[in-house]
Parts: sequence; C-alpha cells; structure tokens
Amino acid sequence: MKILGVYNIKGGVGKTATAVNIAHLAASSGLRTLIWDLDPQAAATFYLRVKPKVKGSMKMLRGKRDLDEVIKGSDYPNLDLLPADFSYRNMDLLLGESKKPALQLLKLLRPLSQHYDLVVLDCPPSISLVSENIFRAADALLLPTIPTTLSLRTMEQLLDFMQGHGLETPVYAFYSMVDRRKRLHLDIISSPADPRCKVLESTIPYATEVERMGLERRPVTDYAPRSTAARAYQALWDEVKVRVGGLRPLSDFNSPF
Amino acid sequence: MPHDVSPARLARMLGDTAGCQIDNSTRLLLTFFDSFDWRLHAAGLRLLQVATPLGTVLRLKDAAGSEVVDSIGVVDVPAWPADFPASDLQKKVAGLLEMRVLLPVARVQCEVTDLGVLNEDAKTVVRLQMLRLNCDSAEVSEPRTLWPRLRLVAVKGYEDELAALAARLADEWEWPSAPECLFDEAVAAVGREPGDYSSKLEVPLKPGTMAVDALRKVMRRLLDTLERNIAGARADLDSEFLHDLRVATRRTRSALSQVKHVLPDDVVADFRQRFAWLGQVTGPTRDLDVFLLELPRYRASLPTVMAGDLDVLANRLRAAQQAAQQKLRRELGAAPMRALLDDWRTVLEADELPGEPGWFADLPVERVAGQRIWRMYKKVLKDGRAVVTGGHAEDMHALRKDCKKLRYLIEFFRGLYPAPALKGIIRTLKDLLDNLGDFQDLEVQADTLRGFAREIAEGEGDSLPAVLAIGALVADLLRHQQAAHERFAGCFGAFDTADNHAQYKALFKNGDPQQG
Repeated sequence: MKILGVYNIKGGVGKTATAVNIAHLAASSGLRTLIWDLDPQAAATFYLRVKPKVKGSMKMLRGKRDLDEVIKGSDYPNLDLLPADFSYRNMDLLLGESKKPALQLLKLLRPLSQHYDLVVLDCPPSISLVSENIFRAADALLLPTIPTTLSLRTMEQLLDFMQGHGLETPVYAFYSMVDRRKRLHLDIISSPADPRCKVLESTIPYATEVERMGLERRPVTDYAPRSTAARAYQALWDEVKVRVGGLRPLSDFNSPF
Repeated sequence: MPHDVSPARLARMLGDTAGCQIDNSTRLLLTFFDSFDWRLHAAGLRLLQVATPLGTVLRLKDAAGSEVVDSIGVVDVPAWPADFPASDLQKKVAGLLEMRVLLPVARVQCEVTDLGVLNEDAKTVVRLQMLRLNCDSAEVSEPRTLWPRLRLVAVKGYEDELAALAARLADEWEWPSAPECLFDEAVAAVGREPGDYSSKLEVPLKPGTMAVDALRKVMRRLLDTLERNIAGARADLDSEFLHDLRVATRRTRSALSQVKHVLPDDVVADFRQRFAWLGQVTGPTRDLDVFLLELPRYRASLPTVMAGDLDVLANRLRAAQQAAQQKLRRELGAAPMRALLDDWRTVLEADELPGEPGWFADLPVERVAGQRIWRMYKKVLKDGRAVVTGGHAEDMHALRKDCKKLRYLIEFFRGLYPAPALKGIIRTLKDLLDNLGDFQDLEVQADTLRGFAREIAEGEGDSLPAVLAIGALVADLLRHQQAAHERFAGCFGAFDTADNHAQYKALFKNGDPQQG
C-alpha cells in the first residue's frame, strides 16, 4: 500500500479536486483506492456524495476503533472514502494525546494495507501536528501550487519545515489553476523551482469544468473525461504513479467472476 | 433472474422505492480450463481465464467460488503452467497437472451491465451487475443460453441497503439465488460432466453374470478409453493421451491372452495380433516421450556446470519425437486402425459372438476371475521366490510381466470384490511392480542413452561435452538401477507374507473351478 498526501499550507489551490480526481483515476485503473478526507470542511466527502459524519471519530483517531468500520464505498468500484467529520478540527489535540504523536496517523493506516493499494490523503491547509503526521505517513507528497509569488513562498515554507524536522518524504509539486493568459503564471512555470522538490511536467489549467465538480458532485474525470481538465489530471496521474512506483493494478477488479 | 428483464425494466422495477441508474455495459469472456482427466476438478479447484477490456487474468477458485491463490495476468491462452508467470497459482496448477496440458472445457460470453441503486442524495448504495450469458465449447455447434444473473455488489458502509434489496429479490420477486461459480452450469450446458474421463479402470460387475458378458463389458470400457484418446494422441496435445491409449491397448491384449477359453479362439488369435500391431506402432513415440518427460530430472541429477551439456541430447530427442509423432499420427488415422476399432466394437457389441464361445463363456464371472487371479498369483509367488534366491536380471524381467498380468486381472474384475479387501493387495503389488519397473526401465534408459551418445560422437562438431554428460547420466541411472536390484528382496518380502497370502486365498481361491 502506498500513501500519497495531497498537501499545501495554502487553501484554495486545488488540493481536493486533485485528490478526488487522482483517486478516481487510480481506482479506474484497477488500484484499490481509499481517499481520506482529513479536512473538516469535508469537500472531498461532499464531492463523493457521502454524509460528512464519522460515528465515533474521536475513538477512531485514538486508535480505539478500526478505520475499516467507518469507511464508505463511493459511486465507483474500487474507490472508498473515509469521510470527514467536523471533529477533525480538533485533530491536533487528539493526535497529541498519543504516545508517538507524529506517527499516530501512520499507525492507524497500517492495518488497511491488506485492503488497499493506494491511500490518498486530502489534507487540511495549515502546518500543524496533523501535517507532520501526514508527512511521516506518506510515501510521497503531491503539492498543488498556483504559479504566483505567494504560493512559491508557501512551498519554501513547507520545504524549510521538512528540512528542519529531518523529513525526507519526496515532494512532487505541480502547477495548478494555471491561467495561460497570465504572463506571471507562464514566467513562474518556466523558471527553475526550489531544488529541494521535483516539479512535475503536468499542469492543471484553471477550468470551469473543475469548478462544476461542486454541482455535479463527481470527479471531473467521470463527468467530463474528454475535457482539457480531465486530460490534465490523467497526465498528472500518469506521472505520479511512475514517481511513486510499486503500484500494480488488478486488471479485472470489476469482473463478476 | 428471468430472461425477459432488461436493464431498463429492472431499473423501473427498482425505481419505485429508490432511484436506479444504468451505467456501462461491457463484454467479458470467461473460459474454464482443466486437464482432459479433470485433475483440477478432482482437487476441488476451478481454473478460469477472464478476459475484460482492461486485460486478461487467470483465477484459481475452490468449489464455493473463493480464490485460493492470487490471480495472475496472462496474455496467451493457458496451456502449460510452465509458461505462466512465476506465482503461487503457477506452482499449484503445475503440481496438480504434472505432464498434462490445460484444455478449454467451456467458454462463457458475458454481457455485464452495471447498475446502481441510489439513495436520496443520488449516492450509489448498492451496485448491481446484470449478466447475460452464452456458453459454448468445441463440443457444441450452437451457443447455449444460460440463465441471466443479477449480482449484488456491496458498497462499503451501506450493508443495510444491500440486505433490504436482497430480501426484496428473494421474498417479493422470488428470484432464486445462484451458486457463485458458473462452472457447474457452464459445463453441463456444453454436455460435459466433471470426471467424464478417467484412465482408471473401474467396471461395475455383478457376481453370477456370465463370464463372456462380463469380459466384453470390461473390454468395451477399454475400447472407449482407447478411442477417447486417439484425437489427443494424434494431435500430441500432451504425452498422456498416447500413454493412456497404450495402457488401454496393453490391458486389452492382456485380457485377450489371460482370460482364456471365454471368447472364440479365432477372435482371440485375430485381435491379439492386431492389438500387438497397435502396441508396436505406438511404442517409438512413447519411448521418446518418456525421455522428454525425464529430461528435467536428468538435468537435475547432473552437476550444474554439466546440465547445459544435455542440450544436444534434448534437441535430438525432440527432433526424433516429432518424426515419430508424424508417423504415429498417420498410423492412427489410417484404414487398419479404423478397421481394428470398428471390427473390435462389432465383436464386443454383437448379440451373437462370431464363432464358438470358449468352454468358460457361460460360467459365472467370479469363478473365471478367481481362477485366473489365483493361478497368476501362485506363479508370481513361485517365480519371485526363485529370483530372491537366484537373482538373475532376465528372471526379474519375466517376473515383472507376470506381476503386470496379475495387476491387470485384478483391475478387470475389481468390481466383483469388496474395495477395502482389494486395497491392501493392490498396494503391495504396486510397490513390487514399481521396484521391478525401476530395475528394468533404468537399464533400458541407460542402454538407449548409450546409443544416443554413440550417434552424437559419430556426428559433426564438438561432441565431447554432450557425450561426457550422457556418460555421467548413464552412471547415475545404473547406480539407481543397482539400488532397485538391492531393494528387490525387501519389496518381494512385503508381497510374500502370510497376511497377503491369506487375503489372496480368501478372495480368489474358491473362484477356481478346478478347486471348487
């Protein structure tokens, strides 16, 4: 099982759209995929039409209840969701109670390794104990970045934090919500980025199809698979799966036999 | 589910209490495989190849439909497990099949329509798969339609909705539940029955039946076996078709010569000669098949650095086998073979025998069987004891022939005797035969390999490595042969016991009309 954290300190950079579309593409390719909506705003949960409620969420985070019991199937074969819950706003406090606070998330996820090939963590913005847990649990971090000066600053903040904490989780940044009519966007994309992270080739355009996810409550890769945005997510996923490595899809996951 | 329910109709039927959405339709091809003699089925397993638009996998399931090992991706039609990707599935299937090839048993074309039962948020809470199935195989000309199925797939976290729908289908609509695995239904639809071929000779016989009727029944069964193996032997699907064909031939010859004075003398003389011909024309290919089957063991017996030196031998064997096989294919399809089978079936199925039946034809079969088995047993005992004291190789060869005759006689008539009583005597006889077989076969193999070495040495190129490797192999075979010789007294001792003698006596002696 590989764990992929979709993270950015900043909000509104396209994290949830990335997490949901990548998870959908992974599941469609035959990987048993779980998306964990860690953000109390519950956007991923909403997109997948599940109620943002986890019975016994506190117990679960303390490790007194199996994650498996609260997972919900999505509308798509092979794609399950661990929904968000409003109590996640206090997750820092709960994780802080455990013996190894920075490793609690990984400890909770380990028992799922028999059931899933890929776990996608849709992370809340900010930098906190939750984020550190995510950095330590993840095999790789996927960092959606809007090509603006402020976004590049938060990228550096993250990389400084990781360096300061001795975290070596690979970070793959990609440019998100790219508007090719903007000179600044094009300039930033063509300039070299911080050498401590790898910038992927794929970029996700700013597109109304992606915004429609809130109305459709489905991944754009499902309702508009031929759109520019969906194709961009496909290219991103193709790149990510090679980087993460070790993912072996089942070729007959939806087969009745 | 009924044949007349389309996805749209099902969606309407379900839509009165919840939304139902029709998703994609895909076509799958499902093929079940087993060996000709159903080795996987006998082990409680089903091997299926599932071809989907995403790829093709092989799955190994138990009778209840659960996978016993992880599935594997394959590209080609599965035939030899050695060609599968290394996996637990490969090991398991190879271990059960040994030298047998996989053959398709039944093929199911499946159209799958995905549907989703939705809740008030238009969220899928139960996934449905409607399956429309058509089945065919090499044995049927037209595809057979199977009952359509509706498969309920749980969505995690919505188990209550699944249970409610399952109850509705069963109680309100009265749709019966179907077994998870399609195997039984598909196999029956193409007119096959698991275990419909076995090389084991088991003919039910009733005491009191006239010997001539019982013997013809046994011989009919042997003829059926022989005929069922002809196509596979001609096509050289695997070596076991020819082997089983030869065993059926040998058993027939043995029945003709050993069960005396039952069939008319002319019939016996004619068919002994014609089945001897069949034994001869099938021999060369079988001998080469045995060498090819033994090759991996030969290689393993040599030091690793020499194992590759057997490649020259392996190529020679393969070429010789192919040449012999071509000839065999012609012989088995030619007029003398067809005439032999037709004429023999006429003898075995005719109301009246062509000629004067033998003196024992009207006797109850148990008397004839008992007499023949008891006499052959006594001969084996006498000759075996002589070998223990004398120990000549030629005597061991003759003893092996008699042991085989004894074993065949017991097998022809095993239906007359209680199975548990036969178990022990068959086992000791088999152990003795294995020992005598090792002794003779290893010697024959060593001699033949010497011949190959000579041919290779006389050929062109650097023959020395191959000749040395064969030399090492011959030495190893002869060491094993010597060991078999040394084990003989022990094996025969296990046969020649008071207990075993009492068993033979109780079962067979009273059947001897001269004693009765």
